[in-house]
Amino acid sequence: MELADRAVGLLLSSISLSIFTYYTFWVIILPFVDSDHFIHKYFLPQDYAILVPVFSGVTLLSLLSVFIGMVMLKSKKKKA
Amino acid sequence: MKHVVKILSLLVAVSAFWIVLLQAAIVPQSHTWLLPIYFVVSLGCYGLLMVGIGIMQFPTCPQEAVLLNHDIAEAKDFFLSTNGIDIGTY
Repeated sequence: MELADRAVGLLLSSISLSIFTYYTFWVIILPFVDSDHFIHKYFLPQDYAILVPVFSGVTLLSLLSVFIGMVMLKSKKKKA
Repeated sequence: MKHVVKILSLLVAVSAFWIVLLQAAIVPQSHTWLLPIYFVVSLGCYGLLMVGIGIMQFPTCPQEAVLLNHDIAEAKDFFLSTNGIDIGTY
């Protein structure tokens, strides 16, 4: 149905835009703000700005490789 | 082979630019260290955004759907009448 497609597309684009703005704020704008501004409450400490993407990227890659490995094993077992 | 060379040269150019930026210290150094991760994350975000926009703008053709259902019913009748094969409903 068209409406469901539009809703899913809107959800996906809004998620990506919010992630982009949050990350831009975190990495680029926040270091230039004084450390006793109230906005620092809404952002995690800056070390997490590196840890979170790297950790999720590594998790994604490992999940992908596990999936590929399982598929390859299954196909080999079926042939033999 | 040529495409790989192009991609590799692009990568080398970007890393050279990053190293020059680190040495020249125009931007504060702590900022420059975070630049590659920032670009990777923004690239992923951009991909997601394009997928979302594509999903939203995908065109539906209701007339074609009606015609297709017609064709399916016709094919079922055809199979039933000629060979007695009953596709039926799922």
